[in-house]
Amino acid sequence: MRIALTIAALAGITAAAPALADIKIGTAGPLSNAEALFGNTWQNGMQLAINEANAAGGINGQKLVLVRQDDQGDPKQGTLLAQKFCDDDSIVAVIADFNSGVTIPSSDVYNRCGMPQVTNSSNPKVTAAGYQNLFRPIANDFMQGGAPAEYALETLHAKTAAIVHDKQAFGEGVATVFRSDFEKGGGKVTSYSGVAATDVDFSAVITQIKTENPDVVYYGGTMPGVGLFLKQLRELGIKSRFFAADPAFLPDLITTAGPANAAGAMVSFQAPPYDSNPKLVKFRQDYKKAFNEEPGPYSAYGYNEAAIIIEAMKKAGAKVTRENIVKGLRDTKFDGMMGPVEFDAKGELKQPSLYLYKVDGNGFVLEWPKSS
Amino acid sequence: MTGFLVQQLVNALTIGAIYALIALGYTMVYGVLRLINFAHSEMFMVGGHVGFFLLAAAASLTGGPASVLVVFAIFVATFIAVGLLGVGIEATAYRPLRGASRLAPMLSALGVAIILQNVVMLFVSRRPLPFPAFMLSMSFDVFGAVVTLNQIFIVLFAIALMVGLGWFVNATTLGIKIRAVSENMRTAQLLGINVNTPISLIFFIGPGLGALAGILYAGYYGIVVFSMGFIVGLKAFIAAILGGIGSIPGAMLGGFALGILETFGGGLLPRLTHGAIGSEYRDIFAFSVLVLVLIFRPAGFFGESVTEEGMVYKRDF
Amino acid sequence: MRRQAGTRTGRLRAVAIVALVVAGLTYLVPGLPTYYVRVIDMVLIYVLLAAGLNMVVGYAGLLDLGFVAFYAIGAYSYAILASGQFDIHLPFALVLFIGGGLAGIAGVLLGIPVLRLRGDYLAIVTLGFGEIVRLLMNNLTWMTNGPQGVSRIDEPFLFGAGLNTPQDFFRLLLPLVLVALTLAWRLERSILGLGWAAIREDQDAARGIGINTTIAKLLAFGLSATLGGFAGVIFAGLQRFVDPVSFSFWESLTIVLIIVIGGLGNLVGIVVGAAVLIVVPELLREYSEYRMLLYGCALVVIILLRPRGLIDRRYNPAWLIRKLGWR
Repeated sequence: MRIALTIAALAGITAAAPALADIKIGTAGPLSNAEALFGNTWQNGMQLAINEANAAGGINGQKLVLVRQDDQGDPKQGTLLAQKFCDDDSIVAVIADFNSGVTIPSSDVYNRCGMPQVTNSSNPKVTAAGYQNLFRPIANDFMQGGAPAEYALETLHAKTAAIVHDKQAFGEGVATVFRSDFEKGGGKVTSYSGVAATDVDFSAVITQIKTENPDVVYYGGTMPGVGLFLKQLRELGIKSRFFAADPAFLPDLITTAGPANAAGAMVSFQAPPYDSNPKLVKFRQDYKKAFNEEPGPYSAYGYNEAAIIIEAMKKAGAKVTRENIVKGLRDTKFDGMMGPVEFDAKGELKQPSLYLYKVDGNGFVLEWPKSS
Repeated sequence: MTGFLVQQLVNALTIGAIYALIALGYTMVYGVLRLINFAHSEMFMVGGHVGFFLLAAAASLTGGPASVLVVFAIFVATFIAVGLLGVGIEATAYRPLRGASRLAPMLSALGVAIILQNVVMLFVSRRPLPFPAFMLSMSFDVFGAVVTLNQIFIVLFAIALMVGLGWFVNATTLGIKIRAVSENMRTAQLLGINVNTPISLIFFIGPGLGALAGILYAGYYGIVVFSMGFIVGLKAFIAAILGGIGSIPGAMLGGFALGILETFGGGLLPRLTHGAIGSEYRDIFAFSVLVLVLIFRPAGFFGESVTEEGMVYKRDF
Repeated sequence: MRRQAGTRTGRLRAVAIVALVVAGLTYLVPGLPTYYVRVIDMVLIYVLLAAGLNMVVGYAGLLDLGFVAFYAIGAYSYAILASGQFDIHLPFALVLFIGGGLAGIAGVLLGIPVLRLRGDYLAIVTLGFGEIVRLLMNNLTWMTNGPQGVSRIDEPFLFGAGLNTPQDFFRLLLPLVLVALTLAWRLERSILGLGWAAIREDQDAARGIGINTTIAKLLAFGLSATLGGFAGVIFAGLQRFVDPVSFSFWESLTIVLIIVIGGLGNLVGIVVGAAVLIVVPELLREYSEYRMLLYGCALVVIILLRPRGLIDRRYNPAWLIRKLGWR
């Protein structure tokens, strides 16, 4: 009798355990260096998506948990964390990393252990290895640098451009693409200069640009550099049209540069306007309620990436494993907050979308493509 | 072309003035303790933040932009606050190590710098904070260059502060004690001077000046962020070496000299080399200046000529 | 019967213990979760780096704050000579020597102009040199691919076997580090090492008794840089991606910190220091936001309480050897 009871009790315990286990998603990003703001708000966005999924019942009744880790933008840490996540069987998917320089080496580790990896890094080299477990649901740098060049050439009929980048992987990446696309389209690049990402004083470069009198100025880099650069550009009397990449899509750009200076600046971003898409409006409100501040530049991306993984988990059925999620991700056909999500053979978005916004007053207004 | 050159010159003098103010802190501390105070760059950063919050408080009280008197009061308050911070740091982190090796206080200073930076990052703000302009934005056209009132103010204010410091160190008793202690601490003690007073005073004035530089810098560029101290501090340190570390007029001259070297280097190099060497080489330029000065003329402009024996006065470890 | 000093049994005992420990580690460690093995690999690489810096800072007393430059030269050597960057694919063992050699030459080149400098001046120049190297790596895009770094570096092949997993690297690193430490210990006790000690204590007196301080100092810079270069090549092979981010001033500082914790000139202390400095942040990952803050606090506290190093000087290799029984 006692034996039967014991067996029944053990069976009860072991049967109950899996049903109560949490499903863990790992994420690694820069949380404590100069990019701390980007990493933290990015992961906050993911947390929001996960909170919503949990509120709606989780996955098969299991709760989702986000395991946040800090890679400090350092490939050494990124690879260590990748190994740590890999070794932990309860982690079935990761959203990592933020910096392309960290994603490239860590993707080797994730690939070895078959971990589904969704990344926010936009450098084209990230997908060069063709890993089947790696997915990038944002437009890569080829689009980010290419679209403004096309717009400048075709819509603005610009002939000359001065390009400045911040000597970082992202900034230099998009600036290089802009340069080659602009030149391929017949434009002439008057100067291609680098500044340090920590620079606050761009007067030397801007004074030089003033003598070139270009039609268009492109700045490849992040905040606060781009805001400060724009401010000093206008203060020194340069009236050329200004282009920047998605890290500048923030109210901070307008407050740092000043509304008068920022007016007319063009910024590329991968999502349609907040007000055109009710999902984005709701996202912004929910984020403010949950975290008591405005969403960061990449919060919407984080939300999207988590949502894509959750969608893949739902498709995986009863057993949520790493392989199932990879398969689920491969077959993603999902109308996300930032547009339709479907991946090609290399893990890139099939329909990457890029929008160009113009600064108007205290906000951004969609400029191109007009019909979205 | 004249407009280009004049513009670069104005930019150079403005940033040079800021470097000079910060360099004073490095040079005074080194002159007395032979210590490279790595934490000094963070005094600059903290000063900018203190100024930010004081200005914000003033704005919320008066409901409008601060008047000249209020701005002046904020300057004084920031100077005192950060000065006291400097004195506190010296008493806790440097004084116990005064007899120890050369490496120990330097590492302690590094530790303090890391602590300050992270405390501000974690408990004040990760985001860069937009610093309100407290100067009227007026600009003048000088030979084709745009010169703002802000720039003129920074340069003149910095020069005034440095002249004031020079007078203080030469004409007042306390100032003379500081110079005595810089010259030779042991002998000053023999003469009955309590070295702790001048040393604490140095750690009050130096960081205070750095803090003022922080407010000037923040007002000029419109931004304060926890990471702003490191690079500017390093450049100011190079300026102090260039001018001759331990020499106050040296720090002044070194600051302006570095500003000019950096700006013209960054602005003209691309032109001269047709883009082969771009303005991103500006930092390498500054470091190369440092290395070259130390190798060929370690005394800088005004430092006493340093012989090999002169460099050794304390064991290394 | 009393055991005599210098017996064969004593020496055999010491060797047996060491062999057992090494065999045990080689067998057991690869069985640990790969994450632990990877951490151990990083500890070993840092031991190698610290052993190198120790030669110039701990033995010769020359304060080098830009040691990361040699690490970077080694790493970029492998990145450039064994990847798609220029489509050159040299074998790992060869690049190990090339990278070490290039770093060593750089070390000597750094040493020549700073021969006359002492103390702080030397420290600042080396700091500047380290930053210049990092900035050059970032700006010379045609050679190093700038801030984007060199990716998809070749997998290292040694004796026909590919080094792919952290476990493979452990099997390479453990014997390498042991050999390096043994060589460093022997160097410390050699004539050159004694010359370095003399320079450290009083350079002028050393010159006075006829030690060629120029050669000794240049050798210190060169040999330490070579070790740094070796570490860099291995690191590049492990991570298969190299960018300037990994070679900042903080990296130099970390290595200096290892030596400070371990006690300057103490090889045993260095191993402990490396283990502490790499493992503790991993254990405290929950507080990773506060990591740098804790770093700073630890630095100040350690320096204030024990300015000559956390590990007591008593516990140095001579003590360890005697403990093992070697007479």
